[in-house]
Amino acid sequence: MRRSWIARKASRHLSMVLLLLVLLGEACVALFVMRDLGRSYATAEKMYNGSVQGLLRIGDMQYDAQETRRSTLYALTTNDGNLQVMYADQSRDADRGVTQGIAQYLTEARTPQQIQAGRQLAADWSDYLKVRDEVLGLILENSPKEAVQLDLNSGVLEFDRVRRDLNDLKQSYDAQASQQLATVARLSRASMARLTGALVLGLFLGTVAIWAIQKSRVRSAMQFAKLQMDFVASVSHELKTPLTAIMTAGENVRDGLAFNPDHLFEQGSVITDQAHRLMKLVDQVLQLSATREAKLAHALREVRIDEVIEDAVRSTRSLVEQASFTVEASVDPNLPWIIADVSLLSQCVQNLIVNAIKYSSGKRWIGISAHMNWEENAILVSVQDRGIGIDAEQLSRIFEPFYRSPQVIAAKIHGTGLGLSIAKRTAEAFGGDLTVSTELGVGSTFTVHLPVAKDISADSVERPAAEKGARV
Amino acid sequence: MGTRVRVINLLTMVVLLALPQEQRAQAGGSVAESRPNPNQTLAIVVNRSNPIDNLSFSELRKIFMGERNHWANGHRIAIAMLNYGQPERRTVLRQVYKMDEKGYEDYVLGVMFRGDVFVAPKTLTSPTILRKFVFNAPGAIGYLRSRDVDETVKVVRIDGLRPADKGYRLQIDEPSVAGEPE
Repeated sequence: MRRSWIARKASRHLSMVLLLLVLLGEACVALFVMRDLGRSYATAEKMYNGSVQGLLRIGDMQYDAQETRRSTLYALTTNDGNLQVMYADQSRDADRGVTQGIAQYLTEARTPQQIQAGRQLAADWSDYLKVRDEVLGLILENSPKEAVQLDLNSGVLEFDRVRRDLNDLKQSYDAQASQQLATVARLSRASMARLTGALVLGLFLGTVAIWAIQKSRVRSAMQFAKLQMDFVASVSHELKTPLTAIMTAGENVRDGLAFNPDHLFEQGSVITDQAHRLMKLVDQVLQLSATREAKLAHALREVRIDEVIEDAVRSTRSLVEQASFTVEASVDPNLPWIIADVSLLSQCVQNLIVNAIKYSSGKRWIGISAHMNWEENAILVSVQDRGIGIDAEQLSRIFEPFYRSPQVIAAKIHGTGLGLSIAKRTAEAFGGDLTVSTELGVGSTFTVHLPVAKDISADSVERPAAEKGARV
Repeated sequence: MGTRVRVINLLTMVVLLALPQEQRAQAGGSVAESRPNPNQTLAIVVNRSNPIDNLSFSELRKIFMGERNHWANGHRIAIAMLNYGQPERRTVLRQVYKMDEKGYEDYVLGVMFRGDVFVAPKTLTSPTILRKFVFNAPGAIGYLRSRDVDETVKVVRIDGLRPADKGYRLQIDEPSVAGEPE
């Protein structure tokens, strides 16, 4: 029963928990997707930057190579040795740029094709430089015709090879850059698809969770409204019966149908009995209302549980004797005191005793026990009967106000359906609970869990060595 | 300008001859028997690819006079001269060509006109440019103060002597131009 109460509580918040879990999961997915996206972009950017820088470097090398050749040929345009030396210097400065670019390319080359292309370029550039040096030498030695001849025969061809090598490298970088761009685009699309999918899924699940929450609230509101209507109907019904009896008896007296003292006594008894019944019903309704709104007027004090049980047994003694029931009480000695209102707690136990009498079968026995449960740090007061038991399907509803199971109604067992509800709320008012274990046709045991105050639970109480029995 | 320089040179020599021999040696004057001052020796430099290591003074003179046009390896000889008015140039004119500036100009014009020499010596504005010229031209030959020589060019021995050796003939017998450290 306690488990079912927990389950009910949990189910009440299940949708909320689901929504939170969905949001949490969604946040995690979003974080992962964002991280993947960031990594993809960083990687792609790094790769792309490498290609772009490679292209820029190739561009620089192409310019320097052209500058090398251009400066060499400029030296042909003058006979001034100083200018020729200056052009030679410019040519050598430019060729150093190409040589360094090739060395850097070879350092960064990874694939065999890149390494092969770099080596080919280095070899062709070296061959061209040899021709360039010879051409420069001829120019400086005032042999321009020989210089031009050498350049046309060898320099042009060697430089054309270098130009082709550089173009090959450039195309390689172009292809690499294009491929990397495509990779970036593909990664972006995949990440966006994942992100969108996760968001759509999250939106869908979130909507479902919100819908479930709203539905649960509407259902709760409807149940509450139905409960209120049932409450009003039940109260009306319960009020109507004694009122009808009182009205009938009153009319009998008024109409002279009770014409002798015996008849008058009988009608008077009906009126007073029904008035008492009415009063009791009103008291119960008020008590239920008070427990529901937590407005119990507690006269809290330190209470011994055997005192409570004795009070409850005493209060129900006449009823027990009329029904010819035997009550056996077993209270552990040295139980700790609890902080409670004796009257209310006694009423709670009385309700359970009355309940046991009402729903007993032929076996007229009630067992009352009280013992310490150290695990819960609570005193457990059990009221056991050997009655009809409770159908498992009805267990979840027996503590609802005015609820009476179809079997009970069919068996014409009178009652208001308030006793268990009031008992449970009373136990809860003292920080405890009321649970039930039952077996159909065997009987039921209702147990009140009463927590022990912390300052008196551990220190001032000896744990019971043996149980002490008492028969009432 | 030429006359003023000659007068200064003459006065300098007179002053040096008037000094005691020890002071004359310190001043870098007549130093045939002392170790040459590296700032005042003139190195003959060729391209590093040139196989020649030694030249006799007469071969050197033939080369500078244009009487020899090619090296043994077949490269055409390209003579590099420093610009007009520099001490190194005057030293070469005096000691190798045995001419003054005017005589040199007349000589070059004459050999060019007669077709004895096809290429006139290159005239370069500074020792640095001359050094680069020699570095770039395989057949180049030129002259530099010893302090201006570096590893980009090759120094040729003259009559088996290096510029730092005793008895080396090519000495600059006048001070550096203004602003040049000695």
